Amino acid sequence: MSARIFISRDSGALCVGADEVAQALRKAFEKRSLKVEIVRTGSRGLYWLEPLVEVATDKGRAGYGPVNVSDVEALLDAGMLEGKKHELGIGLVENHPWLKSQTRLTFKNCGIIDPRSLEDYKAHGGYKGLEKALAVGPKAIVEEVISSGLRGRGGAGFPTGIKWRTVAETPPQQKYIVCNADEGDSGTFADRMIMEGDPFVLIEGMTIAGIAVGATFGYVYIRAEYPDAIEAMEIAIHDARKGGVLGRGMAGSSFDFDMEVRAGAGAYVCGEETSMLESLEGKRGEVRAKPPLPAHVGLFGKPTVINNVLSLASVPIIMERGGGFYRDFGMGKSRGTMPIQLAGNIKHGGLYETAFGITLGELVDEIGGGTRSGRPVRAAQVGGPLGAYFPRELFDTPFDYEAFAARNGLIGHGGIVVFDDTVDMAKQARFAMEFCAIESCGKCTPCRIGSVRGVELMDKIMAGEDRSENLIVLENLCNTMKFGSLCALGGFAPYPVMSALTHFPEDFGTERKRL
Amino acid sequence: MRLGMPRYESWTAERAREIIARYRHLEGATLPILHALQETFGCVPADAVPLVADALNLSRAEIHGTVTFYHDFRREPPGLRVLKLCCAESCQAAGGDALVARAEEKLGVSMGETTLDRRVTLEPVYCLGLCHSSPAAMLDKRVVGRLDEGKLDWLVKEARA
Amino acid sequence: MWAELRELRDGIDTGTPPRDGPNVTLTVDGVEVSVPAGTSIMLAAAKAGRSVPKLCATDMLEAFGSCRVCLVEIEGRSGFPASCTSLVADSMVVRTQSDDLQRLRKGVIELYLSDFPSGDIPGGWSEFHTVLDQVGVKTHPYAPIDNHMDAPIDSSNPYFLFDPAKCIVCSRCVRACADIQGTFALTIDGRGFRSKVAAGMDETFFESPCVSCGACVQTCPTQALIEKSLFVGGYSRG
Repeated sequence: MSARIFISRDSGALCVGADEVAQALRKAFEKRSLKVEIVRTGSRGLYWLEPLVEVATDKGRAGYGPVNVSDVEALLDAGMLEGKKHELGIGLVENHPWLKSQTRLTFKNCGIIDPRSLEDYKAHGGYKGLEKALAVGPKAIVEEVISSGLRGRGGAGFPTGIKWRTVAETPPQQKYIVCNADEGDSGTFADRMIMEGDPFVLIEGMTIAGIAVGATFGYVYIRAEYPDAIEAMEIAIHDARKGGVLGRGMAGSSFDFDMEVRAGAGAYVCGEETSMLESLEGKRGEVRAKPPLPAHVGLFGKPTVINNVLSLASVPIIMERGGGFYRDFGMGKSRGTMPIQLAGNIKHGGLYETAFGITLGELVDEIGGGTRSGRPVRAAQVGGPLGAYFPRELFDTPFDYEAFAARNGLIGHGGIVVFDDTVDMAKQARFAMEFCAIESCGKCTPCRIGSVRGVELMDKIMAGEDRSENLIVLENLCNTMKFGSLCALGGFAPYPVMSALTHFPEDFGTERKRL
Repeated sequence: MRLGMPRYESWTAERAREIIARYRHLEGATLPILHALQETFGCVPADAVPLVADALNLSRAEIHGTVTFYHDFRREPPGLRVLKLCCAESCQAAGGDALVARAEEKLGVSMGETTLDRRVTLEPVYCLGLCHSSPAAMLDKRVVGRLDEGKLDWLVKEARA
Repeated sequence: MWAELRELRDGIDTGTPPRDGPNVTLTVDGVEVSVPAGTSIMLAAAKAGRSVPKLCATDMLEAFGSCRVCLVEIEGRSGFPASCTSLVADSMVVRTQSDDLQRLRKGVIELYLSDFPSGDIPGGWSEFHTVLDQVGVKTHPYAPIDNHMDAPIDSSNPYFLFDPAKCIVCSRCVRACADIQGTFALTIDGRGFRSKVAAGMDETFFESPCVSCGACVQTCPTQALIEKSLFVGGYSRG
């Protein structure tokens, strides 16, 4: 009997022992003289079930998780290879309510295909987007992306198609596509998942971008803290070249497009687009003033499209199914789907891709399952370290760029970090300033000096020294940083601080203000 | 004590030049070169700066400014093993702070320091992208998630082995 | 050479280099002014007689946008853009003064003062002191712990010294050494609050590739870099 099983090699699965489980299964198959193919995939994103072992059956893929090395023998004895029942069984993976309730457009392949196989990617519809793009030509590609309503998924939410059009309209010259894979926000891992689980969708998206704007080369700037993603992208690029879909006259067309990976070196600020350009150019990652925009004067002074991984990874499906298809999901000005990442003190941590409009409370309580500790949820920080802390009273906020902004929050890259009631919000506010100080590029005054003073003020406030005076100084400092900083690092650091002060004043030793 | 091959090569200008030569043709070659030097020598020694500057036709001040900007680039090689514990929000929310304190106590160092026997360097890292399974850590290039006291103790033992 | 440089300092520094091109007409604080397209708002404001306080900008160098003192308001645009890096547009309406702008400038200056030798504030005559007068701020509300007041003075060069305690990391010296002189002897070492001006690989000025041209000294707005001939009987930090 020959069988096929799937185990993730995504680092989110490796970090809980997926390699060891794969090893143990391989040994067990040998011992039992079973002929079983083990396919290593990306992750489905249901991380509390990793290591997840999926077995191909004629009804679909049956899942078992989380599997430990010590479970292997019992699972095989119970008939796992035939999809038989076991207490670790979750039934058919595709029918799991957590997955079934999602709208997986960008993440449709993650956890299903072998990320190291161009053939597997193509067999699942890969490169249909590029085919369409080549058929309709640059101008039509840009129009399609504009019509999709796709907004930058990195956090700024700028309409992707408009950005592409600006670059497309610059005179012909060397132009670049830069993929921002410096996913430094705590609570986010969607970019990592795509690079490790479906790298070809990113390569395809960047290639389409290149054709659209007339760029012949792309860089993927990946943070150094993602060694597995760096390796996965380098392997995929090598395979794409071998497979003829990257390089001169790629995919049998008259277009040239190639790309390479560049690693960061421990600087969160290099996720800011102009800081990233400086870093790619080999310099200190100091933020550039705008104007000029990178679309006009970008990498090495050339017109450059800079997009986040998710934005680029959404392009192939937009080209394949049409902009209108993508646009139909969502609400208001937030169109398409958002891959939301559930993290922190959470029962069901993972990737939940859905149309904009779902509320924060639904995400935290129903989908996330509340805290892992079992204690009540006290706060959720949305949007990374520069995002606001929302209390339960604001959990009715729908996931939408404008709705979050209206409540002094931000969606950012879509990460949600859940805290239980043991959290000290003053400590979190202090950390917001501390992180800003650690990661500040140092160019502008409000961030360079302000973040340090912010930490010192928080220390005094937490120690009860001249609390009310220092709270006023802190508020003024936040104003200076918010409106005076050169970029969003200093500019948004006040958001978590002010939200903590506003919504959790008791942690700062003050009364709740009547707003 | 793990006997056998040292992790990193000892510095020689010739070896450095070899490494620099391999990457100097790249656009914006500085960071790839610095990464390659650190992979080989465990750090970017001060002596490397003029060599990189020469190869790229940049000033040594410029290269020095770049090297010192990025926290990943070290002046000296680290301990035999590098244990990074994530100290960002998601791992804080999941109880990471207590594990940091435990690691410091067990290793007898503060964050950012190397044990006296030079076996383990303990460092903070701000997010490994494993926030769905916080708290997380990285021992050299190997990631570990869903950290708890038992797993941390095992990690520390591994690091010391 | 040194006397020439001192004379240059007496003329008006319009903040950013002049541009060529078709003229654009805008209003600054109600005053109409015409400048070539591509000119900064800062230069236009100076031309209109409504100079904006500045520290990291100088018309000998391209705009940098780091000090955040020169912020202005532009009608129809949100936020408070830096006038040095923002460009003029036809019919643009600019305000260089408002309560919000004053609050922001005060905030920025207070941060500078929290890491500056307080004894140097009274009686000083550098650009920085001019800005303190312009903005009307000489004190700050912080009880600073981390600071650069103990940074060692580099007196190695026979003509000038560098006192990092007065450095505001505006990078004018680094930019002058690169763009005016073409020597590239200076850089910023480290990042964030740890940023410091460094010569060569953080060597002394004398040991570094510095050629003593004086461009950095001429452009330093706080006199962190200062000619030794300007003080008799030894330098004191103040």
